[in-house]
Amino acid sequence: MSKLKPWVGYLLPKLGQFAFVILATYTLVFVLIHFLPGDPLVAALASKGGGDTVIDPAELEALRAQYGLDGNLWEQYFGHLVALVQGDLGTSIATGVPVIDMVARAFPHSLEIASLALLFGVVSAVIITFLAFAAPWPWLRQLLLQIPPFGIAMPAFLSGLLLISIFAFSLGWLPSAGVRAPGSAILPAITLALPVGAIFFQVFSAAVLEAMNSPYVFTAVAKGVTPRAIFLKHLLRNALLPSITILGLLIGYLAGGTAVVETVFSRDGIGRLTVSAVLARDINVIQGVVLLVGATYAAVNLIVDIAYGFIDPRTRLGTAKKTPAPVAEAGAAT
Amino acid sequence: MRLLRQPGFVLSIIVIAVVIVASFAPSLLATHDPYGSVAADRFLPPSTEYLFGTDHLGRDVYSRVVHGTALSLLSAALAVVVGVVIGALIGLFSGFVGGRIDFVIMRFVDVLIAVPGVLLALIVVASLGFGPFSLALGVGLGAAGSFARVMRSQVLHIRNEEYVEAARTLGVRGPAILMNHVLPNAARPVIAMAALELGTAILAVSALTFLGFGAPPPAPEWGALVAAGRNFVSTNPTLSILPGVVILVVVLAVNRVARTIGGEK
Repeated sequence: MSKLKPWVGYLLPKLGQFAFVILATYTLVFVLIHFLPGDPLVAALASKGGGDTVIDPAELEALRAQYGLDGNLWEQYFGHLVALVQGDLGTSIATGVPVIDMVARAFPHSLEIASLALLFGVVSAVIITFLAFAAPWPWLRQLLLQIPPFGIAMPAFLSGLLLISIFAFSLGWLPSAGVRAPGSAILPAITLALPVGAIFFQVFSAAVLEAMNSPYVFTAVAKGVTPRAIFLKHLLRNALLPSITILGLLIGYLAGGTAVVETVFSRDGIGRLTVSAVLARDINVIQGVVLLVGATYAAVNLIVDIAYGFIDPRTRLGTAKKTPAPVAEAGAAT
Repeated sequence: MRLLRQPGFVLSIIVIAVVIVASFAPSLLATHDPYGSVAADRFLPPSTEYLFGTDHLGRDVYSRVVHGTALSLLSAALAVVVGVVIGALIGLFSGFVGGRIDFVIMRFVDVLIAVPGVLLALIVVASLGFGPFSLALGVGLGAAGSFARVMRSQVLHIRNEEYVEAARTLGVRGPAILMNHVLPNAARPVIAMAALELGTAILAVSALTFLGFGAPPPAPEWGALVAAGRNFVSTNPTLSILPGVVILVVVLAVNRVARTIGGEK
């Protein structure tokens, strides 16, 4: 029992945080939708009917009830919340299909490119940091360090269109669109990896720089250990650990990025689902997608926290409470 | 001026100067009518006559990019203003009040930061309708969380300074202390951050206009130009890629100058 006690004290607040993030996301979306001027249902119906549709008031009330948009604000807020806990995200105004089904169908396609992009982004950020660290000439280091700011300033549709015109149309190596053809996830994943890798690089390289000033690196240099071995054996481990705290933040970037990337590559997925929902003014679907992203973010943060408790006992035992915090702040500020 | 010896910085200033001219006096830079189509000159490749080539209606793409500058940057600049004002107000209030209210507000701010800005903007656009102003409001709201956080940390830092305590001892009331002492001293980091946010806002606005949520079609917004050219990417890649490169260059220049304002060499 005594062994479990620190875990309970460590995990309970984290679980509370997990639930709060989802509740707060729901509240934020609700407030935005209901306090901005305009009637979401009327807008959606007008978009469906194509221009000025005259809607019979009685019919409108019936439709309101059907889409869960009736009653006063409190009834709607708590009604939807109860439904949400039961796994019901409402019905799409544009298609009449349950939102959860639409989201569930789109999610795997987005998950595929997002996880590939995360892998590409993190690995290339680590490789660039290593090359800059080991570069024998200062100009090469400067050149390598210019890549990440470039990745941040690059519009995703530009990198996507460049990749399409080079690798799909000129060279014919990879498909330019769709989800079925083998290798169709590679180009979208690279496009998505560019900003994500650049953000990860900022945090990771800062952590490496900090670790470079520590006594164990000084000792290793004094012993004559090669730069490569110092990087792989000492810096990589110590810098990678705090860097994983921004994983949740990267999930947000990935989710936001899919809207453009999936449109450029004509791929089904969460992003394209959101874009078509906005075009149809289908507020129920958008709300469902944002909640899904909020839940994914909260889940990833929870997993990172638990993993951290395992890897670094100090965080669990509360002796060094603030260890991961500075890095998370640095990541959030960018 | 040591800065003037850095080629990257000088180049960025030149780019920004050109962008300002293009926003306020586009006819100085444009070579053709941005809306005038010449049926015989459709899909021409880039040349000295048509710098970026011509589109499917025979319009000069370069002149359209130049004339689209004001509209594209207006939304981005407005978004930064919205983000700074809303964020600063939240941060000021939260930091000054402190205690439990501060704690609850900041947890909501955490969520505001966590929800991707693009998704937040999409909610606003879907509720308010399409157009440059809803884009600005949406993108600005997405940025407000970070501004609130920076503003709050400044307020927490400043409220313990001796001059604030002195003012309080003299009997100056809370709002007056906020306006006269806290706000001016907290402004610098917020301004540096606003400069960095401008680059992000240009990217976000161009992404949303690329998706078709900006001003209606003939308007030459940058993202919309890329989207229009995208239909012909297999035959005329320059149609979409050159306007995209313009966005990249402008964002690089803005970010470079913003980093200098922020105190980085």
